[in-house]
Amino acid sequence: MTALAANAGPSRWWRSRTVRRFTSHHLALLGVAMITLLTLACVFGPHLLPYDSLYIDLRARFSPPLTGDHYLGTDPLGRDVAARLFMAGRTSLLVAFFAMLLSTLIGTLVGVIAGYRGGWIGAALMRTVDGFLSFPSIFLLLALAAALKPSPAMVTVIVAVTSWMEVARIVEAEVRSLREREFVLAGRMLGLSGTHIMFREILPNAMGPIIVAATLTVARAILLEAYISFLGYGIQPPLPSWGNMLEGAQQYLDSAPWLAIIPGAAITMAVTSFNFIGDGLRDALDVRDDRV
Amino acid sequence: MRGFLLNRLSQSLILLLIVSVIGFVVLNLLPGGPLAQFGLDPGMTQDDLDRLKVQLGLNRPLWIQYLDWAWRLLQGDWGHSFRDGATVLAVIGRHVFATLLLMGTSTAIAIAIGTWIGIRGATHRYSLFDHVATVGAMVALSIPTFWFGLVGIYIFSLQLGWLPAGNMYTIGDGSVLNYLHHLILPSIVLSLVHVAIWSRYMRTATLDAISQDFVKTARAKGLSERRVIMKHVVGNALLPMITLAGVQLPSILTGALVTETVFTWPGMGRLFLDSLGYSDYPVVMGLLMFSAILVILGNLIADIAVAIVDPRIRLG
Amino acid sequence: MTERSNTKSNYSRRDALRLMAIGGAAGLIAPNLLGKPAFAQNPPASPTGRVIVGFSQEPTVFNPLMPHTECDDAVHFSVFDALVRMDSKGVLQPNLVVEVPSQKNGGISEDGLKWRLRLRDDVRWHDGKPFTAEDVKFTLELITNPKFRAWRTAGHSLVRDIKVVSPTELTWRMEEAFAPYLSFLAETFMVPKHILEKEADPNAAAFNQAPVGTGAFKWAQRIAGDHIELVANTDYAGEGPYLERLVFKYIPDMTVLYTQFKSGDIDLVDQAFITADHYEEASKLSDRAVMLERGASVESIYLNLEKPQFKDPAVRQALYAAIDRKAILEGLYYGVHTPTETFMPQNSYYYNPNLPAQEFNIERARQILDEAGWVPGADGIRVKDGVRLSFANSTTSGNHLREQTQQFLQQTFAEIGVEMTISNLPAAVMWGDFWLKSQFESAISGVTNVIAGDPDVSNRLHTKAIVAKGGKGSNTGQYSNPEVDALLEKGTRTFDREERRAIYLRVQEIVRQDLPFLPLFAYANVFGRKEGLEGFEANSNARVASWHAAGWHWKG
Repeated sequence: MTALAANAGPSRWWRSRTVRRFTSHHLALLGVAMITLLTLACVFGPHLLPYDSLYIDLRARFSPPLTGDHYLGTDPLGRDVAARLFMAGRTSLLVAFFAMLLSTLIGTLVGVIAGYRGGWIGAALMRTVDGFLSFPSIFLLLALAAALKPSPAMVTVIVAVTSWMEVARIVEAEVRSLREREFVLAGRMLGLSGTHIMFREILPNAMGPIIVAATLTVARAILLEAYISFLGYGIQPPLPSWGNMLEGAQQYLDSAPWLAIIPGAAITMAVTSFNFIGDGLRDALDVRDDRV
Repeated sequence: MRGFLLNRLSQSLILLLIVSVIGFVVLNLLPGGPLAQFGLDPGMTQDDLDRLKVQLGLNRPLWIQYLDWAWRLLQGDWGHSFRDGATVLAVIGRHVFATLLLMGTSTAIAIAIGTWIGIRGATHRYSLFDHVATVGAMVALSIPTFWFGLVGIYIFSLQLGWLPAGNMYTIGDGSVLNYLHHLILPSIVLSLVHVAIWSRYMRTATLDAISQDFVKTARAKGLSERRVIMKHVVGNALLPMITLAGVQLPSILTGALVTETVFTWPGMGRLFLDSLGYSDYPVVMGLLMFSAILVILGNLIADIAVAIVDPRIRLG
Repeated sequence: MTERSNTKSNYSRRDALRLMAIGGAAGLIAPNLLGKPAFAQNPPASPTGRVIVGFSQEPTVFNPLMPHTECDDAVHFSVFDALVRMDSKGVLQPNLVVEVPSQKNGGISEDGLKWRLRLRDDVRWHDGKPFTAEDVKFTLELITNPKFRAWRTAGHSLVRDIKVVSPTELTWRMEEAFAPYLSFLAETFMVPKHILEKEADPNAAAFNQAPVGTGAFKWAQRIAGDHIELVANTDYAGEGPYLERLVFKYIPDMTVLYTQFKSGDIDLVDQAFITADHYEEASKLSDRAVMLERGASVESIYLNLEKPQFKDPAVRQALYAAIDRKAILEGLYYGVHTPTETFMPQNSYYYNPNLPAQEFNIERARQILDEAGWVPGADGIRVKDGVRLSFANSTTSGNHLREQTQQFLQQTFAEIGVEMTISNLPAAVMWGDFWLKSQFESAISGVTNVIAGDPDVSNRLHTKAIVAKGGKGSNTGQYSNPEVDALLEKGTRTFDREERRAIYLRVQEIVRQDLPFLPLFAYANVFGRKEGLEGFEANSNARVASWHAAGWHWKG
């Protein structure tokens, strides 16, 4: 009786098994804590610091960390690294977040259609996925970034275009296995449309793996943005991003190592957080452990 | 087996077709093009540039350029580099060694260390070592490769002065020792991510193998634990690893590109970046095709190897 | 070695005095290509030792007639010879010719149309075959061969009726008088007829990968992506070589390039030289000779004059006044480069030193705009007749110092009510149609305006050179001034040095007044070499430091 009540009563989501399993995953909690901290710093940090991220002061260039009010030092134009780091975090995190949304959307659409329809449509879609996967992603990424004008929106699209394939694969496999299940067959007998079955019946049942994949995609997107911006094809200055803060840093590695170390540490922290959270979600949502 | 190979071959060809079309279209979206490097040359007139455009065939419609390129490729002609006029295969050929050296070394490091960590983690499950390895692997996967390289250069080259900051060897010193000295830092940097991946997979595979019946049988027979692990567990766990090696190829190439940039390593990754910078379309296309073929081959070899090692898996 | 009598000095007494005034013993070592200067240091009797030269770009084009960039010149200058060579003072010296043709010595007719060249008779190709007038004819004809992917054809396309009179003499006719052609010949290296005439397709000749020239060094081998090795040509007809081996090493990163110079891995830094931020440290290194040499390039902000924002001269003057060049030069470029008011290289004979100097004055800039009727709008950005004083600025993405300059300018321009946005592009996009067909609004670019030291700048400033208006050239800022056009046309027809000088001094005056582009600074290059490497000379009329490796040698 008690067990029934827990299931039937107004569902208290925070008491659900999933949430309980997630909150008992220490690394996942650590991830949530780190990314919350980082996000808060990026949102409020710039308002608390004495310097604007774009304010140039050539007399103060290359100040090492803890010089006066420059807690993290200054860059070659004398701009405050701390202020830039937080502004850059906004750019990088937003780009990664929207890239995740877009790539999950594309991947889910392709995966559902390929998995449900099967046949030549499915084969064609999945071969395209294979095609995209057989480029080392950086090649495609760089070629695209060189071809298109790299605004933040464009970088988001480019990152999404090169990272939807894994979601598509996961969803396709999930949908294919769900396709012959009873509730789907029942839906067909009731005369529901293919679109309805695909997106209302099957998709909700495949949400677990999608959420996990999406979380890991955020981590991947942060890294990809950093790669292309580091190579000079990504987000353009003066708008800071974690990747482009590192772009010129190698040049000053000897004289001003903090320019390289600080943004890299921020990237590592953000990516690690999302990987931890993804790991926790995988355990909590009972997703088969088929990737690292 | 033959049917399988034919099937895979035709699939691979379709794959290459898709790769080449995507690559060609993306490249030609680039405004500017290969003649832009002469845009600042005081002596090049618009006449010269227009003439070169015609001579290079760049004035033709895109689809004709593509068909021309594809037709030549089918006949084994990969085209000529716009930059130095050498054949694309020759250009790639000159850079293959450096990349293979780097990739080979770092893969060897990754397999050796990754396998060890994975097995130890699985046999000492939930030990401190296992936990540290798990967390370490996830952090390693989160570090941007180039940044790890920069930090490595900062510590070992600039601060300690132990290792060179770049290049494959010192000019005039072609000794093996000199190559090795230059190889240490970049190969470790490149192997970081792969140590993490290998150790995770190896751990899972070993755990799977440990729970199998034949391991229990072997234990029951009274074989020493070490022998059981080395012979039965590892042997079986290595099987899926072969597949992994094939699947990991594109990511190793990506890592190689970034690592080569940081360490000024004269390999294919640098060639790709340089060629992209000059809009040297034939070389860029050649590298895209080359890497796609490598990846397809890697997957294929992995599948076949698995089939040969494990007759239970039937190809078809 | 050659007889001294073969070498005629083309210096006038006045030039010599001028050079004395500039002073510096280094400046006085004449790079006398074909005769040993009397005051030469003591080079070894036979070629010994090796020099490793570092480049930040990889030399890849070895056929000197095919499209190439600066760094390739190093190979061409070492492996090949041209008819004439431009020395560091901007004076042409004979190389494969016996004497530089001029109207005075009858090599060029009074109307500038008939040319007669006398060649040396003791020059041999690296494979032992003699060099003759046939090779010159072949080279010049190959350049205009429509099937051949030639580099520059300007000037060459005017040459008609090349006649070989004897193995050491040839004549041709010019379609029209074109004085700069003599200088162009200094960058036109001679290729062997006997090798290339056999090739069905000269674009894909084996020669292009393993060149054969007449130069001081012979091709040895190339490790692509890494280095090129040349060996001494012991039968070289001119001075030198004194080195047994010459290695051009490709180091794709400027910082690593410098680090390797510091560590001694390379002996000399060539294109793109030691970066400004390392100059101070480099000049304190022991056992290294580091010198600051004026280059030929000028860094400027190019304005697309067809954009309504830039049509008003007041805007251009105000922007110029709002540039804190001192801060940029000293703060960002470590005081290495020098301010300039003109497009002409500062050590050119044709440089005009008497132009009004720019003054940084924010108040003055505001005043100019106020007076011209540009009134700040609601957002603080000035407006006049519906035109907002806002524009994009573009340059090569990844050029850190330029990106820093842009961001600095952005801040000062905002102070006078001008909005500058930054929109940078990869090099292959930036310098394509975007630049050549004037699709940019404003751009920062380091441009060399003169070719091999010749002052003709028609290609940059003549109305007929505006591609966007159907012209042929690279007047990308779309500058058009009839007076300048007339002067430039006169300049190309004039062979006399003094007369030409007067013309180009006037051109610079007008351009300074019109401000079609805003000069930021004249480049200086930081050359670095190991102490003990002698015979080295900088030459701003050549694009590389390795323009005369034949004269280099280690202190014995």
